Amino acid sequence: MNEDYLWDKSGEPDPEIQQLEEILRPLRYRPKPLALPANLAVHQRRRYFPMLAIAATVLLALVAAGLWFRLHAGNKSQSQQANVTNPQPALEQKKTSRDAIVKNAIPAPAANPIAGNNKHRNRAAFAILKQREREEALAAKEQLMFALRLASEKLNLAQRKTQGATPANQIKNQHRVG
Amino acid sequence: MKSLFQINTTTPLLVVMLVLATAFTAHAQSSRIQMSSLDHLAPKASETVDVTIDERLMKMAAKLFSDKDADEKEVKELVAGLKGIYVKSFEFDTEGQYSAADVESIRTQLRAPGWTRLLNVTSKREGSVEVYMLMDGEQIGGLAVLSAEDKELTVVNIIGPVDLEKLAKLEGQLGVPDLGIETTKPKTKNDKN
Repeated sequence: MNEDYLWDKSGEPDPEIQQLEEILRPLRYRPKPLALPANLAVHQRRRYFPMLAIAATVLLALVAAGLWFRLHAGNKSQSQQANVTNPQPALEQKKTSRDAIVKNAIPAPAANPIAGNNKHRNRAAFAILKQREREEALAAKEQLMFALRLASEKLNLAQRKTQGATPANQIKNQHRVG
Repeated sequence: MKSLFQINTTTPLLVVMLVLATAFTAHAQSSRIQMSSLDHLAPKASETVDVTIDERLMKMAAKLFSDKDADEKEVKELVAGLKGIYVKSFEFDTEGQYSAADVESIRTQLRAPGWTRLLNVTSKREGSVEVYMLMDGEQIGGLAVLSAEDKELTVVNIIGPVDLEKLAKLEGQLGVPDLGIETTKPKTKNDKN
């Protein structure tokens, strides 16, 4: 049997094949323009994901950096803050005294006592702050000395133990016995 | 495309994780020893010492040390550059008030990278004393002393460059009674005894 028809439709047609062709005709390929599905927006949403991921990464890095600096600079900022609080009353004092001078020039008797009170209050606050700082520093010094002494004692104890018997104590004991 | 997408999103995350891991490792190396695990011993102890001096307090206290007094000057030099001193010490009336796990909770932290054990003296009668040093490059970044005696448990943690020689000499100075350990102070003319 000649199979050219089956191959490229050039030969004699086979009725059986033609019948099959007729049956399958509705299913044959028909070129038509691409019809995009309506839910294509789902794919578009995905485009934001890398941007979100990068933004989250940057945010995470910033938070980490912030925490890092806070941990390390926390103590410094506290001391700086303590220092900053001091000049403020001084500035206010200057301001109030300057105001007082100006108001003295222009007769306004009601303003003077307020300025004076503020000045006095600021001075007192400044003195209290200084006093508190000093007390805190003294307590810290005491604690520091104790901690250092204890560390020193333990270091020496370890050193003594590594050297075996304690020569100093032995001498002391010898004196006591003798 | 999918693989490219994955590379784009995962690479920055990996970089950040690496950075964070490095940062936390570095921080862990310089951070102080956590002693809160020993807090439960305080009610059992007859005497408890808890000293917490951070960098700010250290600087404040350092200002009060006199430059004229030789001893105080020496201490001032010793504490200069230190970032903190933390002490926890418990003294008990009877033995066996703290467990091996309590000691191990501190020891585990001292096994972290950077810490080196300088001394370890163990005695069945007197307990053990361990001295650890934190190396920050070629410099000393900190010191830790763990003393576990029968009736006493002490942990000392000094953060910052500490001069061990000066620290060892400190005992017996500034009115502190000398326990008879390596007295280095030369006798003065006034000392007749």
